Amino acid sequence: MRWLAASTVVLTLFAQSVAADTFRFTAIPDEDQSRLVERFSKVADYLEERLDVEVEYVPVKSYGATVTAFRNDQVQLAWFGGLSGVQARRLVPGSVAVAQGSEDAAFKSYFIAHRSTGLEQAEALPAAIEGMSLTFGSRTSTSGRLMPEHFLRQRFGQAPDTLFSRVGFSGDHSRTIALVEAGTWDLGAVNFSVWEAAVEDGRVDTDKVEVIWATPPYPDYNWTLRGDVDERFGEGFSDQVRTALLEMDDPELLASFPREGFIPADNALYVPIEGIAEELGLLR
Amino acid sequence: MTLADHRTPAPRPGWLAGQSTGVRLARHTLTLVALAVVLVPFADLAVLTRDPWAELARMAKGLAWPAWGAMESPLEALGLTVAVALWGTLGGIVLGFPLALLFARSRLIRAGCAFVRAIHELFWALLFLQVFGLSAATALMALAIPYAGIFAKVFAEILEQIPGAPRDALPPGVSRLSRFVYAELPLAWTRLAAYTRYRFECALRASVLLGFVGLPTLGFQLETAFREGRYHEAGALLWLFYLLIASLPWWGHRRLMPLLVLGGAFLLGPWPAVDGGLLWRFVSQDIWPPALLEGDWRGLIDWLARIPDLAPAIGNTLLLGLLGSVGALLVALALWPLACRHFGNPVTRLVGRGLLLFLRSTPELMLAFFFLLLLGPSLLPAWLALALHNGALIAFLVARHADAITPGMPGVNAPGRLAYELLPRLYPGMLALLYYRAEVILRETAILGMLGVATLGYYIDANFEYLLFDVAFFLLLVTAALNIAVDALSRRLRPRETAIIDDPCQR
Repeated sequence: MRWLAASTVVLTLFAQSVAADTFRFTAIPDEDQSRLVERFSKVADYLEERLDVEVEYVPVKSYGATVTAFRNDQVQLAWFGGLSGVQARRLVPGSVAVAQGSEDAAFKSYFIAHRSTGLEQAEALPAAIEGMSLTFGSRTSTSGRLMPEHFLRQRFGQAPDTLFSRVGFSGDHSRTIALVEAGTWDLGAVNFSVWEAAVEDGRVDTDKVEVIWATPPYPDYNWTLRGDVDERFGEGFSDQVRTALLEMDDPELLASFPREGFIPADNALYVPIEGIAEELGLLR
Repeated sequence: MTLADHRTPAPRPGWLAGQSTGVRLARHTLTLVALAVVLVPFADLAVLTRDPWAELARMAKGLAWPAWGAMESPLEALGLTVAVALWGTLGGIVLGFPLALLFARSRLIRAGCAFVRAIHELFWALLFLQVFGLSAATALMALAIPYAGIFAKVFAEILEQIPGAPRDALPPGVSRLSRFVYAELPLAWTRLAAYTRYRFECALRASVLLGFVGLPTLGFQLETAFREGRYHEAGALLWLFYLLIASLPWWGHRRLMPLLVLGGAFLLGPWPAVDGGLLWRFVSQDIWPPALLEGDWRGLIDWLARIPDLAPAIGNTLLLGLLGSVGALLVALALWPLACRHFGNPVTRLVGRGLLLFLRSTPELMLAFFFLLLLGPSLLPAWLALALHNGALIAFLVARHADAITPGMPGVNAPGRLAYELLPRLYPGMLALLYYRAEVILRETAILGMLGVATLGYYIDANFEYLLFDVAFFLLLVTAALNIAVDALSRRLRPRETAIIDDPCQR
């Protein structure tokens, strides 16, 4: 049965833009990606039941590919990060942020450090980090790059390139943790929820790496919906989608994101993110 | 008179002087190595090892105890990997063969082929992804287009080297096509087929890599599992790929090919409806600077000014390419005897072949990550990954070449056979292979940007992520120009006579 489901997914993946009236969604590859298709297919089943149209999950590999799929109408709904959501809404006029996770209104990033740096948890980023090496996560990650870089610039008044001896992009939060734990980089900037999940599961040795600073809160992940879905799927469809997302309460489904639940959101919430991204030259 | 002759003997040729092939090749090699040694101080090779052992142990455990059950639909991924490689290679032949016939005559075609070859399959995929989405069309075009350029060049060289007598015996006025079908193709067939088989193995590796950008081949899950540290799952997928490559001689038999081609076509499944609008938007707008489209020249200068400083990126790319090539040569020299039938016993050969398979089939990105953990962030992990991967590939081809040689000096011990008989016969081919491979190595520097080494590829990758396709496209053009220049240079430097000794089927 699982085999059947999986092969259907693979086949339909190739048929993406063939059938016009299937509603498709995707999610940025950010949290735990194991058994991705299986878990998100359950979310698709839930949405299918609530929306009364065929719903399909499209697995996507990178932040950029998620935005591209949304822009090219290969998906109509997407679970974006703060920055990727802004990118997507700029490219698809009329699209709206319809919901965010209950944790996302006040999201934060952690700066983590290898114990050999001798750094301790503090109220502000210590001046001693100057000249050390730092790795961000993915280049367009809000929690792994954008906001940490913003707070670094705010505190030290210079770009990471000049502040640190070496700056890298590990590509992924889990990898940032692994690399700082191994001491490959002195410091790392990481999504707090990925860090806490890793600590809880015992996947990280907190004797070797620990949190030295938590950023102030900022808005992050969001569900963004294309503006033309009402025309294509019937009047009131976007409200139905919003309601279905806000009323999702099955812990098994929510664990895929992972969020406690979803709360309403709108485009205006993400204006600060947009401004910061423009300042850093990530948007134009 | 005779006395005078005795008094002024002809000067003895100095060390490494002279024009014999062996000496010239030795000079070539030593110049390359010397150049690398001189330039090493400019490379960023800091070593930093702190606590990599826990993570490395997890990786080793993952490879030793693969979690077969954790894979999500491995058979589909495997089937798709093969189907994409097969159809991508076929597409490359269909496009490349006609070009091969015109290759020698048209400068335009040669330049065009060099251009498509110069861009890495992954970057082609990223370009097509913007238009065709995650579809079989993206995967096939990402393979078929660069392969067309490669096939055109190599096929043209094979056809050039066939004996001319049958061709000359044809009556005048015979058309190009008839001449080709009756006097050229039959003579070249074996070598064309052998090269195609080798290219197919390359296509399998590339097909796995395409998974890294999101096409659902083996690489899709492999990259995710590896990135997130689920090494048992990554181990299972890697083993699956090693087995696929190791068993290629059996399942890749030519009698099975028609079946695989048809089955593969079914796996590739329905095609995306090509959206002309998307395609047009991409070619007419996305890849050009907005200022250029508006004819705003001042804006264009601003646009150029915002592009990161390219000089260090080009320097790093070339340096890594050179160091990678020299490293690959040394690795190949050290490893090829391990897999060759003239040395060792069946057990050592099995181990040797396994080692070469392991090194050439493990994606460079993973080798690089291993060294990144072990040695810290610098150019060094990228260098080692490139040298080992490409060195093992060259060693594999050289060992295969050596196996075809029957030693003619009985009673010589193994080191003697290596030094006096086999190496002199193999080395010209090995060096020629390296010169061809240098082009590939340079292309591969592009995908090691994650190490924080600011090569051109690092910026291309970044701009694809920022969705600044115009900048990415501009940098791709710069990369292509650089590759074409290096290719021209390596063709000029490549010892001439090796073209005859070298078997193009092994490139």
